Amino acid sequence: MNVPMGHNGPRESSAEHVMDRIAEQILGNRQNGTGDAARLFASPLARRIAHERGIDLAALKGSGPHGRIVLADVERAAAQAQPATPRPAPETGGAPAQPEASVMEAAVMGELMHAPPSAPAPGLAQPMPDKQILALYEPGSYEIVPHDTMRRFIAERLTLAKQTIPHFYLNIECELDALLAARTRLNGMAPQDGPRAFKLSVNDFIIKAMAMALQTVPAANATWTEEGILRHRPSDIAVAVALEGGGLYTPVIRDAEVKSLSEISNEMRDLAGRARSKRLAPHEYQGGATSISNLGMYGIDSFDAVINPPHSSILAIGRAEKKPIVKDDAIKIATMMGATLSCDHRVIDGALGAELLAAFKAYLETP
Amino acid sequence: MTSATDFDLVVIGGGPGGYVAAIRAAQLGLRTAVVEREHLGGICLNWGCIPTKALLRTSELYRQIKEAEAFGLRVDGVGFDFERLVRRSRDVAGKLARGVAYLMKKNKIAVFDATGRLEGPGRVALAGHDGTTLPSLTASHIIVATGARARSLPGLEPDGTRIWTYKEAMVPDRLPQSLLVIGSGAIGIEFASFYSALGAAVTVVEVQDRILPVEDEEISKLAHTAFVKQRLTIHTSATVEQLRDTETGVSARLRTADGNTTEMAVERVILAVGITGNVEGLGLEEQGVKIDRGHIVVDAWCRTGVPGLYAIGDVVGPPWLAHKAMHEGVLCVEKIAGAKAVHPLDPASVPGCTYCTPQIASLGLTERAAREAGYELKIGRYPYAANGKAIALGETDGLVKTIFDAKTGALLGAHMIGAEVTELIQGFAIGKTLETTEAELMATIFPHPTLSEMMHESVLDAFGRALHI
Repeated sequence: MNVPMGHNGPRESSAEHVMDRIAEQILGNRQNGTGDAARLFASPLARRIAHERGIDLAALKGSGPHGRIVLADVERAAAQAQPATPRPAPETGGAPAQPEASVMEAAVMGELMHAPPSAPAPGLAQPMPDKQILALYEPGSYEIVPHDTMRRFIAERLTLAKQTIPHFYLNIECELDALLAARTRLNGMAPQDGPRAFKLSVNDFIIKAMAMALQTVPAANATWTEEGILRHRPSDIAVAVALEGGGLYTPVIRDAEVKSLSEISNEMRDLAGRARSKRLAPHEYQGGATSISNLGMYGIDSFDAVINPPHSSILAIGRAEKKPIVKDDAIKIATMMGATLSCDHRVIDGALGAELLAAFKAYLETP
Repeated sequence: MTSATDFDLVVIGGGPGGYVAAIRAAQLGLRTAVVEREHLGGICLNWGCIPTKALLRTSELYRQIKEAEAFGLRVDGVGFDFERLVRRSRDVAGKLARGVAYLMKKNKIAVFDATGRLEGPGRVALAGHDGTTLPSLTASHIIVATGARARSLPGLEPDGTRIWTYKEAMVPDRLPQSLLVIGSGAIGIEFASFYSALGAAVTVVEVQDRILPVEDEEISKLAHTAFVKQRLTIHTSATVEQLRDTETGVSARLRTADGNTTEMAVERVILAVGITGNVEGLGLEEQGVKIDRGHIVVDAWCRTGVPGLYAIGDVVGPPWLAHKAMHEGVLCVEKIAGAKAVHPLDPASVPGCTYCTPQIASLGLTERAAREAGYELKIGRYPYAANGKAIALGETDGLVKTIFDAKTGALLGAHMIGAEVTELIQGFAIGKTLETTEAELMATIFPHPTLSEMMHESVLDAFGRALHI
């Protein structure tokens, strides 16, 4: 899996193409179990033993110099984890232990990437203990993929999101033919190389349309705090970028309302590239009030995304495909794309969310 | 203001464990005192590690000079001045002892030239050399670092003239023609190597079935072969039952492996059958400190169980090594001072070095111990004869052996014999402390041409990847 954005044309959503990418993703996930978001200091032996025993290094406190995790820390954790002692994960075979879709769907907020794990709030249901879960499955019938820092983070933030943010969802279909024509025309006019060269993707138009929609409906460009609602002035839009081997980053395009499509396009290309090689600076993935998550290239029609705290909305983009539609009392063929807006009801009421989504549709359909 | 006899920490014994503990304590801001009855630096510096290295340097040079012709050198009239080579050894020790005194001063550590004795919780009584009682010291923490001395066995007691311990063996007035060394640990073997190189007829007797019994069996065997080649006589699984003075020296009754006894006449005997802790006269029992077979019993943090009372180094037991004592001194003090990330001493990370020719150095588990511990092993070997630098040096006898846990890639042990291995072993010690696996050792770039390349090749060999063999 490479980029859940751009190249959203119907031709690229072929089933084969998607399956290849998913296969890549699964393989990558298996081979790269230590895709940490933050650098984690652990001795090579501690890493290896933790990996073999299915212990998450990120959850350990290192007793070595400067908090370095050493073998003794892993062994202590292993002793405490009894009797949950999984076998070493084999290198090949078996199904991936995690549903990939949830990884891609969950757009994780970078700004909270380094937040300490928060204890569950009192009164909330506790998840089943590992021991109880493991008891349900035949030993040897599964493998355990240890959590890395990012996996743990995703789990924490999105559990927090679902437990504290009252979500509601709005669906809309957008007609893309005008956009695709504009894209072809603009790309045809683009300089081939040099600093002004660009190649617009559908996603770039989506970012721009959302940025304009937020300016049109400023009340939706907001963040919940206990003290009050933060109404943001610029349209800072986070875009989910999935990583090889699982996990994702959400680099933020700032002031997207004043940037040209080509500026957005080139900035996105740069941010996505560096996100995938994990070379983003914290300020590049922190902030924003909304995110965009695009799974169109996997052939997904539509889906409901989980809001990344402290955002108040997230726009989930499905695939674009040619459909028969009724226009001017006649059946016509149009390229249609589904978009679902998840809203934080504390900040965005139903009508406000509808206004935002309608504005988005309007900008997208008349580029 | 505090008085001149009240401290945060008092260390009894100024050997390598004691003075290092004192320096670390001073660094951590503790008001610290050292009580030393004889000389700062202890046995190591005055009668052990350092002066023997000075003697062995002489014998090693002598051995090499005698082989000068093979290197294209012509050296005529090779000989030695015994009195002078011994004096050099004493000078080296003296210089370093003055260095320790300077370190104490630099770190503002009070040094009491006296014999210390525990007289109650947090109190150390001091007796001067003339037996006078000095004002007692008080401290919240007291570390006993009184070291150890040569052990003697019934019927095998040193007399200081013909039957020596390491101490007399270090300052002989002349070279004995024949010498019996009882015990083939590091101390016995080093003296055997020194005297043999200078031309004495040396016999080594070891009660166990091989010399250097703490080393890997393969290393013991290679050492045995090398020593026999140097014309040492070695009896393993043998004991000396009796020593008797004669007109010319000593007559020793030797019971060999086959059960027969023979009498052998030698000029001098060195007793090197182990050491025993200096636990007497300190008031340890009165304070409730537990002593087991001549050594103070302590926990992983060097605590004796009596609040505020700790013990480190040789007095707490084997391995009787200066660097082990220093390490314990540091960890004990850091624990007292509440420092973070203090870890108990890992015996498998204590390197051992023997400075005979060829040198021997090792770390961690022997092959047999690793097997007995239930590990599945990967073992690598690389001989000196295949190393370019070793050939250029004319040092082609030796082996670097590495032992890995096949399952995890953890370095379990490293065992080396050959030129300069005592300087090489720390590479594996660093690796072990950093908890490297074979992967990092393999990925490390070793400079060419060096003896250290053999360490790399040995690791590669353990995983079937050796390049130059």
